[in-house]
Amino acid sequence: MMDLLHNLAFGFSHALTMQNLLFCAIGCTVGTLVGLLPGLGPLATISLLLPLTYSIPTNGALIMLAGIYYGAQYGDSVSAITMKIPHASSIVACIDGYQMTLKGKTGLALFTAGVSSFIGGTVAIVVLTFLAPSLGEVAFLFGPADYCALMLVGFVCVSFVTTGSLLNGMAMCLIGVLLGQIGTDVNSGVPRYTWDLPMLADGVGLVSVALGCFGIAEITKNLDSREERSPFNGTIHLMPTWAEFKRIIPSALRGSVIGSFLGILPGGGPVIAQFAAYAVDKKVSKYRDEIGSGAIEGVAGQAAADEAAARTSFIPLMSIGIPENAVMALMMAAFVIKGIQPGPNMIAGHPDMFWGLVASMWVGNCFLLILNVPLVRYWLSVFKIPYGVLFPSILFFCCVGTYSVNNNLDDIFVTAAFGLGGYLFSRLDMDAAPLMLGFILGPMLEENFRRAMLLSRGSFSAFVTRPISATLIGLIAVFIVWQLAAFLLKARPQPQPV
Amino acid sequence: MIDRNLARGLFLAAIALAFGLGALRYPLGDFSRAGAGLFPLMVSGLLLLIAVATVVRSRLMKNGPPFEFNPVNIALLLSSLCAFALVSRVLNMTAGIVALVFISGFAGTAKYSIVRNLKVSVGLFLVALAFQKLLGLSLNLY
Repeated sequence: MMDLLHNLAFGFSHALTMQNLLFCAIGCTVGTLVGLLPGLGPLATISLLLPLTYSIPTNGALIMLAGIYYGAQYGDSVSAITMKIPHASSIVACIDGYQMTLKGKTGLALFTAGVSSFIGGTVAIVVLTFLAPSLGEVAFLFGPADYCALMLVGFVCVSFVTTGSLLNGMAMCLIGVLLGQIGTDVNSGVPRYTWDLPMLADGVGLVSVALGCFGIAEITKNLDSREERSPFNGTIHLMPTWAEFKRIIPSALRGSVIGSFLGILPGGGPVIAQFAAYAVDKKVSKYRDEIGSGAIEGVAGQAAADEAAARTSFIPLMSIGIPENAVMALMMAAFVIKGIQPGPNMIAGHPDMFWGLVASMWVGNCFLLILNVPLVRYWLSVFKIPYGVLFPSILFFCCVGTYSVNNNLDDIFVTAAFGLGGYLFSRLDMDAAPLMLGFILGPMLEENFRRAMLLSRGSFSAFVTRPISATLIGLIAVFIVWQLAAFLLKARPQPQPV
Repeated sequence: MIDRNLARGLFLAAIALAFGLGALRYPLGDFSRAGAGLFPLMVSGLLLLIAVATVVRSRLMKNGPPFEFNPVNIALLLSSLCAFALVSRVLNMTAGIVALVFISGFAGTAKYSIVRNLKVSVGLFLVALAFQKLLGLSLNLY
């Protein structure tokens, strides 16, 4: 215990040098500004800004990159809350965050996202400090059948996330899984559903789906209703009341714990985290009936989970040298460029770097809070722009965001196609959030399902003989029975009053 | 006018059939050695079940809300996106921005203003220039 505190103090002594503070502040600021642009999520932001760190000392470079990552994540939630244009890390923020915007509570939603991210980040740093060396091994405990069961649990979360009926949510999730099948099959190399179009050989981009289904569909809906949408009413309701603040804390703490655990798991962990936190809030929160229509808990829990998962996703990278997602792979590249091999020897070999980075995460959290709370009024100024000027600008940002992923103009046609799809979904009352979950988790589900079946020689027993997958499948079964029972009880005729 | 629930069911069925029938073109294999078509076939089968349930439910629940679809605005927005991509490829992205703004400007607005569109185009060109120079985005503006 004393050793850990000593190490943490050592980390803070590195992170709090004037130079590293400056790099952290630059990283958070630039990351937030670039992350604000629709389509430019943390991955694109880090890859764009990676060259900035080449000429910076190793410690400072890694601290700055981490700052860029958190900043981009927060910036991403700003565009999701204000314009309903999300990236992978802010899909759930679109649901209640955007509803709050429509009620004129954008300032409060952004403040809640900022504070909850701070809470999530802080809890995750505690987890990272005390459990990083041992928790990294958790990822090794999960086999293909376990991952498959975990993805299915993620899909079950859909029933809580969706704002319409459970059947609609499941349908959208399955459509997302099917869209994730487009592209070359990784096992056999067979191109699937590509219609011989080279631009589909690598599959459909997440950015195209997100911008089409959310951004373009939302603009069209606004134009159809001929609303000069301007929730900004001249006064900025930024700070929550004490009653509102009391609603943020439990939700953010629940999200932090969920995110801290799920962030460790490779692949879809951080994505599942925000959905899982939202699902738990929708079930256990005192204000669960309001969630889905602009409740503060709907923003707090998912923001905390997302931030916590982003922090703990560093654990497998730094403790066992395995990047668990594309952003971490890019971070690993930055480590390697700087001559550091992440892995079990990193903590012993480069304690200043490891503990400095852990401490700088908390410093970065503080910077984001200090930076973003006063900036909320500037984010709100977007609503002062007449919609006739705003929507062509959003369309342009959608085009640039889509194009900049692969520097390919063809991707804009794909975005346009998903814009039509998203508009159809909205007209049919089908929520696009479950589609995104299915789209992200679908390819991983298929890969793990096929691998599990290969290892078990085609027997489904693999899912019930392993303790982790058996527990998760058991949870799903309990959930289904619970839902059926609730449905039957609801359908039972009520006794007539005498 | 068509019932929205029925339209939803038919739409889901169309997607399920498109992917399901498409999956039959790829090797299916068996569970121990799944081919490229097996997983999408399973998923589209599930989706078809939901589609059938939705259609049946729409028939049982009469007087569902009508399905409304206004093709004008979405067509204009999609045209502006496609025009941006095409013009950027043939000429350059500055011309693409102008095409995007001038076509999308027809959508949802009662009065079309050339002056406003010109101002928006200039503003977006400056933003694009900043992206190119400051962030290093590869935008062929000129």
